Amino acid sequence: MHQSINNDFLQKAIGTPVRRLDALDKASGRAKYIADMKFDGLLYARMIRSSRARARLLHVAVPALPEGYYYISSNDIPEGGENRLYMITNDWRVFAEDTVRYIGETIGLLVGPDRNVLRDLEREIKISYEDLEPAFTIDEGLAVKGGPIHGEDNIFAEYNLKKGDPDSIFSGSYRIVEDEILTGFQEHAYMEPQGMVGEYKNGKYVITASCQCPYYMRKAVAGILAVDQEDIVVSQAITGGAFGGKEHFPDVIAGPLVVAVHVIRKPVQIVFDRHEDISFTAKRHPSRTRFRTAIDENNRIVGMDIDIAINGGGYQSCSHIVLQRAMFSVNSVYDLPNIRIRGRAVATNTFPSDAFRGFGAPQGIFACEMHMSHLARALEMDDAEFKQQYFVQTGGTTVTNGMIHEEVKLPEMLEKVLESSGYIEKNRLYAGEGAAKAVGISFYNHGGGFTGDGEKEIIKARVRVSRDQNHKVTIYVSNVEMGQGFQTTACKVAAKVLGIPLQDVFFQNPDTSVVPNSGPTVASRSMMIVGKLVERAARQLKNSWNDQGAVDAEEDYVQPPGIEWNSTTFQGDAYPAFGWGICAVEVAVDPATAEVETKGIWTVHDIGVPIDDLIVHGQVHGGVIQALGYGSLEKLEVKNGAFLQNTFADYIIPTTMDFPAVESDLVENPYEYGPFGAKGMGELVFDGAAAAYAAAVQKAVDRDICSIPVNPELIMKLRQA
Amino acid sequence: MAVSYVPATFEEAVRIRRETGAVPVAGGTDLMVRYRSPAGTLPDFPWPVMFISGLKEMKGLFLEGAELVIKAGTELAVIEHSEIVHPVLREAVRQMAAPALRNLGTLSGNICNASPAGDAVCVLYALGAEVELTSSSRMRRMPIEHFITGPGRTVLKDDELMTAVRIPLHSDSASFYRKVGTRKANALSKLSCTGFITVTENRIVDMRLALGAVGPMVVRSAELESQCIGMDLNQFSNFKPDLRKQYAELVTPIDDQRSTAEYRKETTLNLIDEFFMLIEKELS
Ligand SMILES: Cc1cc2nc3c(=O)[nH]c(=O)nc-3n(C[C@H](O)[C@H](O)[C@H](O)COP(=O)(O)OP(=O)(O)OC[C@H]3O[C@@H](n4cnc5c(N)ncnc54)[C@H](O)[C@@H]3O)c2cc1C
Repeated sequence: MHQSINNDFLQKAIGTPVRRLDALDKASGRAKYIADMKFDGLLYARMIRSSRARARLLHVAVPALPEGYYYISSNDIPEGGENRLYMITNDWRVFAEDTVRYIGETIGLLVGPDRNVLRDLEREIKISYEDLEPAFTIDEGLAVKGGPIHGEDNIFAEYNLKKGDPDSIFSGSYRIVEDEILTGFQEHAYMEPQGMVGEYKNGKYVITASCQCPYYMRKAVAGILAVDQEDIVVSQAITGGAFGGKEHFPDVIAGPLVVAVHVIRKPVQIVFDRHEDISFTAKRHPSRTRFRTAIDENNRIVGMDIDIAINGGGYQSCSHIVLQRAMFSVNSVYDLPNIRIRGRAVATNTFPSDAFRGFGAPQGIFACEMHMSHLARALEMDDAEFKQQYFVQTGGTTVTNGMIHEEVKLPEMLEKVLESSGYIEKNRLYAGEGAAKAVGISFYNHGGGFTGDGEKEIIKARVRVSRDQNHKVTIYVSNVEMGQGFQTTACKVAAKVLGIPLQDVFFQNPDTSVVPNSGPTVASRSMMIVGKLVERAARQLKNSWNDQGAVDAEEDYVQPPGIEWNSTTFQGDAYPAFGWGICAVEVAVDPATAEVETKGIWTVHDIGVPIDDLIVHGQVHGGVIQALGYGSLEKLEVKNGAFLQNTFADYIIPTTMDFPAVESDLVENPYEYGPFGAKGMGELVFDGAAAAYAAAVQKAVDRDICSIPVNPELIMKLRQA
Repeated sequence: MAVSYVPATFEEAVRIRRETGAVPVAGGTDLMVRYRSPAGTLPDFPWPVMFISGLKEMKGLFLEGAELVIKAGTELAVIEHSEIVHPVLREAVRQMAAPALRNLGTLSGNICNASPAGDAVCVLYALGAEVELTSSSRMRRMPIEHFITGPGRTVLKDDELMTAVRIPLHSDSASFYRKVGTRKANALSKLSCTGFITVTENRIVDMRLALGAVGPMVVRSAELESQCIGMDLNQFSNFKPDLRKQYAELVTPIDDQRSTAEYRKETTLNLIDEFFMLIEKELS
């Protein structure tokens, strides 16, 4: 049922929008998500979880189970298998044994054919614990409250960076401005909750999963069963949103699942309902960033001493990598002299924190942007005026003493935003009126792809593009469509190179037994890195287009020339290229209720070249609104180790009524090593809006804002202070 | 598993209620959520339930004498769009939940749920609404503030159904309604405030103020209201600070997952100030 697709992009710019290839199926409800899929003899599993944040696990009393029902635990891991998940770090256990480290930790699975029976059985399971003293906050973790959770000091990772000569600065006599910026947990709130089905087929364990990284999952679980990675097949199910929440966390479900499939040898489904998903899945890392900034007699920044700590929760998983990105982003778009940065990822007894759109950068950038705006306020200057003095330029130096290789278009972008938002005139007017209204602004960038030489040394992406006898082309990559539009944009890249209609290009559903490993769907890398390989493979194919029969073209990742990185010292080019952004937000604060009305949102981004204008705008709108939710509404508190806002009635994400449309603009800045000049953009568009919002409210109420979410409760408190 | 009944007529409904005590489910938008259970399982009701949303006899709204009668099963969406309903109640209902929810949810469900954050409840307190309760053998009516006795608690008997809400028609000179929700749409209240003022010849003849979500029950004080009756602008302005102080004592909110006690109290008092300014405007 091929409806006509607009192929104008073949003659015009590649960004000319097409109808997304998945649009009709998804909009019409025909698309089958994992919970909709039918499997013969399907059994259901319920996770049995720890109700204690930190305890010795004494005993699990399982009732007598009816025929056809199973209780699966670490005792069922086969000989030679390990009770651990091979994630980025392999400390997360498949099943808790002896101790539990957080509320919601997997203890076992109850499996059987009738979910009503499972629910009743679950209530009869009695778990005895001996409670231990938990640590929930960064400070409690650092103080090793209740004894170490990890190592001797609860430090999952600590790194130190130095640029210039900070030591001499801070022993000098400059004016020092101190600051502390806090960010909280954030829930991914993807539309489709976590879910997957495991089967045993032809000697292989087949997992059909809503996920971002099929190859990650394969690697994570093979060791549990002591089988080769090839004996695990991960096939992507249509995925209803992910935002990083389906990067590593699905491994935590897949681990117990494969043990169940190993024992029972029947298809088993685990699908979380929303309440489980909010309560018992990973969240964005909370952060605390402290600044000591030295200012000279000309009101210029001469040095910064920065200390970042993030709350990693009960297991490390990828916290050290998130920390790295937070550190590499904590100077935002500024080339500042004499920087010292200390970063620590701290173990606590909260639910392990994990990947979330931006991966540490939103925390680092929020902290930097707010601190810079506080400096501006202290020096009685306007934020934009103060900050632009320090804009990094082409050839400028990053906090890892790397170089900015590309053209930096921030001045041009700033002009555009100032004009579209009316930033200067409005702020002048509102300040005169004394009204609680203001326009805030933020600047940000995001390095595309894996940090440093990760693409070259760790991921080593490979793609294949094939043409069959009928001259139909298929793209084989392990990067998934999860709502972001990659299926469509990848096909556009191939179609444009080959000069064939989009209808003749197909996107192979990622399945580890079929597609090569082009890496995970993360780090804003799919189009910039994998899309480039698709472009190159399509070029190759074009050269052999007239060959007989089917033709295959494969391409492997090659690092762009001139990129230097030392992964031990963290010195050099952390990223080959950046997306850049500026966001302005106008607010009015209600005098009686401290509720905030957002009057306008203006953005300008440099993402190289858009591969589809509409998809890009979708990402901009979605990312900006998601960030405004993070900055204003999405309070997620931990009470005695459990998330307090655990329903959508209480965990407040924005609706269409909460924010006006985003006025989004782009500047073109083609990147030589991206497909058709494209750079990474999926996370960039999340990184800055929270700070623009906070800066606007800060100006409107004339108080320093040091934490998000900036909700009416916080504003009321600040106004009273 | 809970037994469920689907009565075909109102008579059958009250009979089932008398015989089994089955708990009525109207729109189910409170009950189904409160007793939710995992995907693929039946809702987890601890008692028999009776689905009453199909009963035509329980639907409709009309004027009767000096009252507006809203039958208990009338959906919120119908109330929202009815011209004969007081505009403040319509506005409060319009700000509840989202369209799909309002097509299912009922006013009586909002009342019987007896949450201090029930948006319509706050307005109904201020409007002086009465509720009508019917069993197979008797009918009684009482003011809403007698019906609700605590958070989640009412005087509804096991054999009774709420059959109507009766709202006296009254003509106010001005009204005040403000809901402070957790966001701009589809949001539960952090607090709400409803006020009516009637002025004749520059004197207060009627003043009503109801405050939602600032204590275990909606707050309304007949005593404080009656002290204002007869006042002119000068008198009211002099009395205002004291009145505010007395209301402040009635406002006893808590910290919870939606807001803080401090915010609720401060904001409620700010809204009371706004209402008082409206009164002064009406008096001058
Ligand atoms: C997403 C969402 C958003 C919401 N937003 C709001 C909001 O903004 N403001 C707000 O106030 N509420 C809100 N609610 C709560 C709910 O929708 C309202 O309270 C609604 O009015 C309940 O009506 P119902 O008919 O669905 O009640 P039900 O769930 O059917 O019943 C609620 C209670 O009333 C009893 N009951 C119902 N009818 C009768 C009767 N005739 N006789 C005796 N007992 C009866 C039931 O037994 C039960 O105890 C929201 C709920 C959801 C799920």
